[in-house]
Amino acid sequence: MTFGYLIIVNDKNDTNYLNLAYALALSIKNTQKEGYDKVALVIDNKDRLKNLTSPWVFDEVIENDYHEHWNGRSYMDFLSPWEATVCLDADMLFTRDYSHWIDYFIKNCDLYIANSAYTYRGEKITSDHYRKCFTANKLPNLYSYFTFFKKFNVMMEEFFDLNREIIENPVLYANNFLSAYKPSVIGTDEAFSLAAKILGIADDISYPLSFPRVVHCKGMLQNWPYPADNVFDHVGFYIDRKGKIKIGNYQQHDIVHYVDKEKVTAETINILEEIAWKKT
Amino acid sequence: MNCGIVIFAHNNRQIDYVKLSMISALLAKKNLDKPVSLITDPSTADWMKESKVFEKAAKIFDKIIITQRPESGNNRLYRDGKDKIAAPFNNTNRDNVWYLTPYERTLLIDSDYIILSDVLNEYWNVDSSFLISNTYKDILGDHRIGYLDKNVSETGVKLLWATTIMFTKNQESKVLFDLVDYIKENYKQFSDTYRFNPSMFRNDIAFSIANHILYGWEDSNDYTLPSVLSSPDIDFLYDVKEKLKFIMLANDGDSYITCSIQNKDLHIMNKQSLLRNYDKIMEQL
Repeated sequence: MTFGYLIIVNDKNDTNYLNLAYALALSIKNTQKEGYDKVALVIDNKDRLKNLTSPWVFDEVIENDYHEHWNGRSYMDFLSPWEATVCLDADMLFTRDYSHWIDYFIKNCDLYIANSAYTYRGEKITSDHYRKCFTANKLPNLYSYFTFFKKFNVMMEEFFDLNREIIENPVLYANNFLSAYKPSVIGTDEAFSLAAKILGIADDISYPLSFPRVVHCKGMLQNWPYPADNVFDHVGFYIDRKGKIKIGNYQQHDIVHYVDKEKVTAETINILEEIAWKKT
Repeated sequence: MNCGIVIFAHNNRQIDYVKLSMISALLAKKNLDKPVSLITDPSTADWMKESKVFEKAAKIFDKIIITQRPESGNNRLYRDGKDKIAAPFNNTNRDNVWYLTPYERTLLIDSDYIILSDVLNEYWNVDSSFLISNTYKDILGDHRIGYLDKNVSETGVKLLWATTIMFTKNQESKVLFDLVDYIKENYKQFSDTYRFNPSMFRNDIAFSIANHILYGWEDSNDYTLPSVLSSPDIDFLYDVKEKLKFIMLANDGDSYITCSIQNKDLHIMNKQSLLRNYDKIMEQL
């Protein structure tokens, strides 16, 4: 069975998502075992890869300018070139080898979606500050930033079909299913959670596991005693020459979802590239 | 393995730490059945002789170890309920315990830590060179526990409580105590990195940071000592009844709530109120 990661980017605004995806792909190459380090990129314009120093970190590049942003991600099952895929958000970085967990997913799951997040201090996030819609509408607390799926199984197909239906008809679904608290936008997380709830498969695709552990760097989730817009206004983001990441006083060993797109600078990418070059 | 308990006592003009240590030592001996040694300084020892407690102390303590008095300059407010007084807090030589302890396995306790159970006896044989408590519990429950009772600072690391520390005298623990000393010597610099208020040196903070660093800049989830059940210094020790039942008046904002504590180890931060009950406690020991 082929396995790989999938990153979907579509730069329609000021953020250079390709750069973020490039950093993530480099961090995957730097940390994962051979055979577990394949990365496929879905992008609206392949030509933009010419600006990268090491575009080879993307094992597959798929051009797709048909679906924009949320829509693009809802087609992850069609877009992935792998039989088993983990679809990731672009603004994440890997910090160590997680390949043993991929073996677990391949053996035991057809579809698995992350359902927890952690602070930079390793505490489980319980705040629903950004997820009022989930609490009010009793949605399962799914995070699409780490979605494992295998192709060619009925549950996965039904799930993604309904997910697309929700994304394409947000008003209809919000009026019918999210009336207790209507989100301003139905993003992938909301659509995934609603699809899982309607199909009654939340417990099958999102039971508690000790992986993935994703450090979610949104300001209001850090269990701080004061409100914070941006985590990095309050604690530093450090990356050393070995690619080890520290946030504040804490060494990070989990997947870092840094959220603040400015954290991946040319220097960060240069560090990750050097490590990748030495490895190859 | 040679096991024992160590208490530091450096008197100031307001608080008689030796008397506190005598209470603490007798209760520790009674409930843990282990020898207790006192680490003090020449001026405190002179006072012990002058106030005629030296002989009594010599009977209570296995050893009285005289060391240099730590540099003062660490002033703190000692609250006694609603009253407060400022006095020097001579607590900056706690990391020297590794060198000063006469035991291979040592339980270091604060002089205001009252051992009323044998729970800590469970930890002498734990396979860990260094144990510290990582949780603070309030006698009135969680609502009086502040953010900085759990964390070194708003964004910094988890706060450990150096009220109780158990360690084996070996190279592994030496590294930790030496690091605590380094943090103490560079306290201001560490306060920038860990974002805490450096105005008063706190052993809790120094041990928390040292433990955090040695654990690979992560929170340690290994063995810890039991949580430190505490009565903050805004409370009073009101009375000590028969069978060492400690009656506390716990400050709950506008009023006081009476609590009784028995057979549970207790950190009584209002030292003056503990000293006021010295005779009542000693009568029972």
